[in-house]
Amino acid sequence: MFTFVTQHLGFLKSVPTLGWLFDGWLKLWTYFNKPILLDWMDEIEAEVLRWQHTTSVIHKYGGMQFNYKGREIGHIHSNGLLDMLMSRSVKAQLMPDGRISDHHTFKNTGWISFCIRSVSDKDYALALLRMGFDRLAEKDVMLNLFQHPKC
Amino acid sequence: MNRKNLLTDLKAYGISNLFAVGAIGINKYFIIDTHIDAGGVFVFSEFIIIPMLMGIISAWFWRNSELSGREMIGKSFMNGCITIVLASIFLGEGVICLIIVSPLLFASIIIGAFIGRAMFRRKNNTLNISIVGLMLIVFVTDSLSEHHYENMVSDTIVVNAPPQQVWKNVVAFKRIKEKNKYWLFKIGMPSPVESTVEGYYLGAKRKCIFSNGYTFDEKIVTYDENKNLTFAITNQPRDPEIMGHIDIEQGQFLLKDNGNGTTTLVGNSWYKLYVFPTWYYDTWAQSITRNVHLRVMEHIKELSEAK
Repeated sequence: MFTFVTQHLGFLKSVPTLGWLFDGWLKLWTYFNKPILLDWMDEIEAEVLRWQHTTSVIHKYGGMQFNYKGREIGHIHSNGLLDMLMSRSVKAQLMPDGRISDHHTFKNTGWISFCIRSVSDKDYALALLRMGFDRLAEKDVMLNLFQHPKC
Repeated sequence: MNRKNLLTDLKAYGISNLFAVGAIGINKYFIIDTHIDAGGVFVFSEFIIIPMLMGIISAWFWRNSELSGREMIGKSFMNGCITIVLASIFLGEGVICLIIVSPLLFASIIIGAFIGRAMFRRKNNTLNISIVGLMLIVFVTDSLSEHHYENMVSDTIVVNAPPQQVWKNVVAFKRIKEKNKYWLFKIGMPSPVESTVEGYYLGAKRKCIFSNGYTFDEKIVTYDENKNLTFAITNQPRDPEIMGHIDIEQGQFLLKDNGNGTTTLVGNSWYKLYVFPTWYYDTWAQSITRNVHLRVMEHIKELSEAK
C-alpha cells in the first residue's frame, strides 16, 4: 500500500496537509495491525533524543524526523519505514547485506530505506541512525575547525 | 486507569469537541451565511484544520501524562469516535456520510495530537501561539472564501443490440433485481432500482427511484430518439446522506450505432459538490456516481440483450 502510494500517487504530496493525513492513516493502520511497532518507534525516539544536540520533529510529509543541530539525520514513517541520508560509500558498503534498500523515491542517491519489522530491526534502525548522527557530528567538527582554525 | 487520568481524558475529549461544535456553529451561522454559498457548504478547514486543532487541544490536556505513541493514537481514535457521534446528533449526518468523513477526521485528530505533543514538549509559548494562530487564520480565510465545484462523470459500455432496442430501456426501465456489487450500496447507501417516464417526448417528466423509496424528479430536456436523452434533475430527495453535500444537476445517455448490431452507450452525470476538499470528496462522488451509472447501464444492457 505504502509503496503503491509513494510510487504512483507521490505527486499528491504537494497538496497541503495530504502527506500528514496519509501518515495519520498509517498511524491508525499500525495501531490496529501492529501496535508493538509504535512502542519500538517510541524506544528509538527516546534513545536518539539521549544523543547530544538531537531533536525530534514532525517530518514535512508526516512521520517522526530526527535532527542533529537542525539538520536531518533521518525520519521514520508511521508504518515503520526508516528513511535516511548516508554517504554513497557507506550505502555501498551496507547494501550487500540486503537489509537496507534504495530510498523508495530517490533511487540513485545516498538516501536509503529500511523497514522495521522486528526487535532486531529496531536495533539495526538505531545503529543506522547512530551512523547518520556520527556523520553529521563529524561534519560539524570539521566545519568548526575550518571556520575557527587553532594555530 | 486512575481517577485523575480519567478526568484528564474527559476534559480532553469534552473541551476539544466543544471547541469543534463552537467553531462549526460560528462558521455556519456567522461566516458562511454571509456569502453566496449559504447553506450546506462544509469547507476544507472543518474537516482538517478544526480536527487538527482538536488534537492539539487534547494534547494540551495530556501534556503531563507522558503518553506513549500507542496511547496517543488510541485516545485520539476515541476522540474521533465521540466527534462522529456528535456529528450525527448535531449535524444530522447519515451513516454513509459519517463513514466517508471518518478517515479525514481520524487522521486529522491523530496528526493534531502529535503536533500538539511536539509543541508542548518544547514549551515555547511564542511558537505554540504562532502555530495555533496560523491555523485559525487558515480556518477564517477558508471560511470566507467562495467555494464552487462542479464536475461530470462519464461511463461507457457496449450493448449487443441496435440503438432502437436500447433506446426504450434508456428512457425508462423495469425494476433492477440484480444484487448490488458496490460496497457502499451493500452497506445501505440507496441505489437506483427503477426509472419511470410519463411519455416518450421532449419535456416529459421522468422519475428515478432508489432502493429506499426516494425519488429524483427529472424532466427530459433533449429527446433525440435513438441518440440522445438528456434530463434535468428538478427535485432531489431530502436524504441525510446527500442533503446539502451534492446536487445532481443533469443526466444524459448517448447512444452510438456501431453499425454491427451493437450500440455504445455513454452515461453522463453533472453534479455540484458542497463539501471540500474536493481532492477527497470528489474521489468519493466520482466513485458513487460511476457505480450508479454502471448499475443502471448494466441493467439496460441486460434488458436490451434479452431475446
